[in-house]
Amino acid sequence: MNNLRTGSRLRRLVYLRDLLRELVVRDMKLRYKRAVLGVGWSLLNPLLQLLVFNFVFTVILPVKVPDFTIFLFIGLLAWGWFQSSLVAATGAIIENPPMIRHPGFPVAILPVASVTSNLINFLLTLPILICFVIAGGHGPALSWLALPILLVVQFLLTLALAYFFAACHVPFRDTQYLLGISLMLGFYLAPTFYDVAKIPREYQTLYQLNPMVHLLGGYRSLFISGQVPALAPLFVIAAASIVTLVFSYSFFVHTSYKFIEEL
Amino acid sequence: MHAVNVANLGKRFRSHNPDRTWTFQERVMQGLRRPAKPEAFWALRNVSFTVENGQAIGIIGRNGAGKSTLLRLLGGIGRPDEGKVKVDGRVSGLLELGAGFHSDLTGRENIFICGVIGGLTRKEVAQRLEAIVDFSELEGFLDSPLRTYSNGMSMRLAFSIAIHTNPGVLLVDEVLAVGDLAFQLKCLDRIKQLKREGSSIVVVSHDAGLVRTICDDALWIHGGKTKAYGPAGRIADLYVSALDQWGSEALAGC
Repeated sequence: MNNLRTGSRLRRLVYLRDLLRELVVRDMKLRYKRAVLGVGWSLLNPLLQLLVFNFVFTVILPVKVPDFTIFLFIGLLAWGWFQSSLVAATGAIIENPPMIRHPGFPVAILPVASVTSNLINFLLTLPILICFVIAGGHGPALSWLALPILLVVQFLLTLALAYFFAACHVPFRDTQYLLGISLMLGFYLAPTFYDVAKIPREYQTLYQLNPMVHLLGGYRSLFISGQVPALAPLFVIAAASIVTLVFSYSFFVHTSYKFIEEL
Repeated sequence: MHAVNVANLGKRFRSHNPDRTWTFQERVMQGLRRPAKPEAFWALRNVSFTVENGQAIGIIGRNGAGKSTLLRLLGGIGRPDEGKVKVDGRVSGLLELGAGFHSDLTGRENIFICGVIGGLTRKEVAQRLEAIVDFSELEGFLDSPLRTYSNGMSMRLAFSIAIHTNPGVLLVDEVLAVGDLAFQLKCLDRIKQLKREGSSIVVVSHDAGLVRTICDDALWIHGGKTKAYGPAGRIADLYVSALDQWGSEALAGC
């Protein structure tokens, strides 16, 4: 009878972990349920994108980046994780009214679940990327062990933005369109398919302010040159993301009291 | 320490008015008409009560009296504009049944997702799996997708999960009308059992009989305000006689 009242902290942590797991697994199961190819679509999607972009930027408008296919694939995959997480998190609140209305449901877990399930999708595509990397003659390197650093930094950055967009979207449904346009433009402004070194000097400072520039650069230095990326900018991004996260999380919590009236 | 402590609770809503439109389209449609002043109304005001461990309170009142708003505030959904709500322990409820259910997942998968959303850890769901399935009387269907269930079957499953979450405070909305009479009686028994095990129960209903059978206390709210608060039997009697009076007045008016 005692455990009815004394909600221990440990139990709460176990509970949140289980809840996150259930939400992520549900999302993964439902994503391609009843599609013949199933999870294959998660792999086919970036591969088809790769095929077209590769054709455009090697045959029609040559970009002349060494190992362009791998370079491009990294850009597409990492940007894909970022983009699909934000899109999913933004819709997560309005797509799940029964959960939001459930007494005691910690709404703030939904954006975390969106970013996590897209992270898993990203991780599922890594073996293919690694095949490309090895086929390109860049054998496994010790520097690959630094990959989790990049994943953590990108996770924090994405989550910080996800809370903000998810909270805005409930009262202000234009958010999804604004986000869609921003992500499309962001895709071209971030060096997903070109080299940052090509950018004229006067724009360099501006470019370096984009956190995705450093993250994409990080993945590329890991897999293409086999070197641990420069850590200083990554730490700055991590710190800035944590500060932003604190703000966007409290903004989310503050707004979430009104969610139910807006759904 | 009370299991539930509600003191001077007030919740205000803005009635939907032109000032609240957010989309450009609506703005343009509205043209340059001067927007009306936002009008607020109190869905609940000055409501106070307490519930002890293992006790049950019935909230009665007519439609629109503020009963559901009260349940939501107890469930931590939304924030009071006045006063406070204190709840000791985990809250779960027989409302919003089947949160997280998806028709493409099997009964078993849905039990896990819905049970965890209802406040249980995965291990706790696994321990209660048998009890949940027994209660729902759906043994043979556990591994079929939910879309093959009838509406009644899926409601029964949702109800069985909700009633096995063993919360500190159980919120019950008038959803007891699930399944046939036998199933409803079983649900009532289970609620009484939870109460004996120490859960506090808050039941929202306009069925005075139900309030008499399960509840120790009752709170009658009318137009968002406390009309009467006291032992369940007495309040239920008051409510029924008031209903009779309203009923005969309504008839007289015909």
